[in-house]
Amino acid sequence: MTAQAAPVTRTISALPSSSPPYRSRRRPSLYRTLSKTLIILIVIVQVYPLAWLFITSLRTEHDFATGDPFALPAALTLDNYARAFQTGNLGLNILNSFIVTMGANVLIVILGMMAAYAIQVLGFRLSHLVRGLFLIGIIVPVQIALVPLFIDYSTVNLLDTYQSMIIPLAGFSLPMSVYLFSSFFEYIPRETYEAASLDGAGPYRIFGLITLPLSVNTVVTVVLVNSIFIWNDFIFANTFVLSEELKTIPLGLQNYIGAMGKVDWTATFAAVCVTITPLLLVFLVLNKAMIQGLESGATKG
Amino acid sequence: MLPTRSRLSVLVFLLPPLLLYGAAVLFPILQSLFLSFFSWNGISDMEFIGLANYLRMFTGDDVFWRSFFNALGYLAICLILQLGGALFVASLLTSLRRGAELIKTLYLLPAVISTVAIAFLFVRIYSIDPVGLLNQLLHWIGLGDLERAWLSDVNTVLAAVSAPEGWRFTGLYMLIIYAALLAVPKELEEAAILDGASRWQLFTKIRFPFIRPVWITTVIMATTYGLRGFDIPYLMTNGGPGQSSELLTTYMYKTAFTSTDFGYASTISVFIVIECLVAVGLILVMLKRKADA
Repeated sequence: MTAQAAPVTRTISALPSSSPPYRSRRRPSLYRTLSKTLIILIVIVQVYPLAWLFITSLRTEHDFATGDPFALPAALTLDNYARAFQTGNLGLNILNSFIVTMGANVLIVILGMMAAYAIQVLGFRLSHLVRGLFLIGIIVPVQIALVPLFIDYSTVNLLDTYQSMIIPLAGFSLPMSVYLFSSFFEYIPRETYEAASLDGAGPYRIFGLITLPLSVNTVVTVVLVNSIFIWNDFIFANTFVLSEELKTIPLGLQNYIGAMGKVDWTATFAAVCVTITPLLLVFLVLNKAMIQGLESGATKG
Repeated sequence: MLPTRSRLSVLVFLLPPLLLYGAAVLFPILQSLFLSFFSWNGISDMEFIGLANYLRMFTGDDVFWRSFFNALGYLAICLILQLGGALFVASLLTSLRRGAELIKTLYLLPAVISTVAIAFLFVRIYSIDPVGLLNQLLHWIGLGDLERAWLSDVNTVLAAVSAPEGWRFTGLYMLIIYAALLAVPKELEEAAILDGASRWQLFTKIRFPFIRPVWITTVIMATTYGLRGFDIPYLMTNGGPGQSSELLTTYMYKTAFTSTDFGYASTISVFIVIECLVAVGLILVMLKRKADA
């Protein structure tokens, strides 16, 4: 969890000193100083709740119930973490989230690449229609699928399985993946394909030997962008999964709300801290790639 | 087109993705449309009732209209926080010479955190006993009169459940707009400054027109995401107190899975889909026309 606190303290200490006005070549304008102050303020508002979440998870229960919420904790304790692990199945929840995220990502990457290959590289008469179909999935809200899928799942016995979460999560993420892959495939020069064709390579060999190996970067982008949404999915899991053994992180966290609405808040916050760590770590390590992916997701999609 | 492609190879590549997409997205849309003409509780036989569900929705259901207007309020708050905030911060950030990368990362942090965690966090921020961050802050700046239980007050609850959603994604839109602003050609800006343009003119005459295509995309993204908002209101208040924070999505969910009225829930779903399509259409018409004018 230090990974979460570290960047927070770093901004506060590093930002004001990072570009002292007297060192800059141009005269520091009032506008620049003002906007710098504003940015720092806004970033604090944006990040403070998360820092507070972490600090609270280290407070004693008594301190939390009585103290000033902004004050630093009187004493630090890890009891909350111990209770958090006792109350729930955090390890299992994380494992389940991992399985669902992996499963959905495999589908999104492979199928997205295949669809983009068919639309962009092979080409066919109705390709515009297919592109348009995929646009629907970006516009319509995911809730539309809840009732029909619930009914369909109960007829084919898929309720309460990993697949029940993976299928809609992959389905609704597929359009973005198709668009990202097709916009990348546009950049692969036609001549590459034509040369390969002249050498006798068919569409399958070209896919395996040219398109696939060139797409590694786009695969990373697609996986990073979609993982945020899939890892944090609440609505599909909440609708289709009932048994404890299959609960993903968002559902597992709900267990911390006690039977009579009595909540052990400090333990809950500890559990929240544990569950947000995996994705947060990935994000902090890969944030350049992720940010670049999110930007291209919007501009190309 | 590849010279050696065959009809079969197109199908081999196209069919698997379309099967998944069809099963998860396209078919359920049609199924909802179909179900919306029936009365069905999931157990007894389905009964065809024609347009009765639609009639009930538009003329006989106060909760539906309440949820519809709540959803518009929710959307408005999300759009102001996300797009207004994003545009503002992105513009400020372009004047910064260093540290933009760090700020982008920090600003995006809330977007990677699950809605359940965010709901828990904001329940505590709004709480009055023990005093939460918001009430304490109001107390300190001398606005103690405003202290209240934000989530149980019918006048504030809608804003209180909308703000976390706005807070969560503003970083995402900021990134996109910031990237677009950086792409504005420096020569254009410098020429405008030489001609004596103020910062405001620089923004309205040079920068904003230049980023308009990206702006349209972000408005569409934020609107469709705002209209599908569900998790945070559902988790924080479950639509309450009364119906004061009920959105169309939460109302649909409860109709389907608490009252098990699948037919009527599908009718509401169909309405939500049409609402999204209309919203996207309106945005395109409005923003495109302004661009041509």
